[in-house]
Amino acid sequence: MRIIPYILYLLLLGLFEVIGREAVGISGVTINLAAFMVMAVSLYKTETVAAWFGFACGLVLAAPTPELMGWHALVLSGLAFVAYNVKERLNLESLYSKLLWIFGGVLMHSTVSLLISGGESFLFRLISYGLSGAVYTTVLALLFFLFKEGVITVKKIRSIF
Amino acid sequence: MNWISNLFSRYGRNVHLITIAILSVVLTYGGYTIGDRHGDAPASLDDRQSLTDDPPPFNVNRLLADGLITVFYYPFHRIENSVADLIRVQEENREYHEALVEVSVRLSMLEEARLENDRLRDILGFDPPPTYTLLPAEVVSITGEIVPVSATINRGAEDSVFVNQPIINQDGLIGRVSTVMPHYATIQLLTDPANRVASRLVTSRDMGIAKYVVGEGLILDNFPVQAEVREGDRVVSSGLGGVYPAGLKVGAVRSVFREEEAVFTTVHLDPAVDFLRLDELFILRQGRQ
Repeated sequence: MRIIPYILYLLLLGLFEVIGREAVGISGVTINLAAFMVMAVSLYKTETVAAWFGFACGLVLAAPTPELMGWHALVLSGLAFVAYNVKERLNLESLYSKLLWIFGGVLMHSTVSLLISGGESFLFRLISYGLSGAVYTTVLALLFFLFKEGVITVKKIRSIF
Repeated sequence: MNWISNLFSRYGRNVHLITIAILSVVLTYGGYTIGDRHGDAPASLDDRQSLTDDPPPFNVNRLLADGLITVFYYPFHRIENSVADLIRVQEENREYHEALVEVSVRLSMLEEARLENDRLRDILGFDPPPTYTLLPAEVVSITGEIVPVSATINRGAEDSVFVNQPIINQDGLIGRVSTVMPHYATIQLLTDPANRVASRLVTSRDMGIAKYVVGEGLILDNFPVQAEVREGDRVVSSGLGGVYPAGLKVGAVRSVFREEEAVFTTVHLDPAVDFLRLDELFILRQGRQ
């Protein structure tokens, strides 16, 4: 397993947590990049790679809150495991099915993360931030898949201008 | 060690997943329990004292978090802070630049006021010719290709300014009013070739006509060849012609040119007034107010 790309993904996650979260946030709603990256890895890589990457993502994500580090590692590696097995059992060839799969995974992660972090008004936070964050992440996933499948290319974008 | 490789080759997937699960559980409990005496609130003051005396408890999660933050967060925090500093410094630089420009303009205005003050102090010692009064004016604009030939002043018919009134400053004669508008007037300067001033030498009282010739400068024309003239002699208006009163400084003799068998001598003059630096001037009005 080549490890350097995954370290770069983790650095990207660190960059997003430090700078990107507020930059791309809309009224507090932001992208769940960790969940999206874990699901993307589980889509294209093996189960163990996805699980370890989820574990590492959980550690990086929870670095500012060390007491929740284990929980986040467990949740993200679990997400990778579940996402991989769902992908294996379902036909995820079409773009819409992939998007639905991403949306479900991100929403699941947001729900569990909100439960772990605790606090009041769980439902309110889930609907206001979790659900809208999952939609926001799905939009990012749509762009990702369109780029990945060559529907949108840099050449095409340049041709517009 | 053979059994480990056997275990991985047979149950590789399960071993990986179980390892992840065990590590996660260890980290979950490690965050609260391993040597963490700060997890419970101290019961008494003595307990609190003993907590401060003890070495910090070993905590796997904090150690790990410290390393992760150093690698994955800190570099970006540095970048973010650097960018924020750069933006702040840029903003401060802009503010300082604005302040500098403002101060520079103020300084320039103060310098201008100081020079004006000096000029006005000089003017205070300047008396108009008898039976004339002075009306101060400021130059609004000056026109002319190489040398200025006319200027516009901020006084006009509303200020009782009339055509042909002489214009002077503390140095000497500048010209005369040529056109009058309600609030402005145009001056025909001495440097206009069409302008002529009947003049005379202060010392010998010999007379000529001061006029400006393009390429030669201010000259005293029609000056008698037999007249005594030396470099540095002062030239003033003679009062003939009815426009300029007698005694206004026109200039000083720079050089004398005598042609053989000529009736007149050409005398070159240095103008009393620096026409390139006209600023405050006075309109000479006849009659005491």
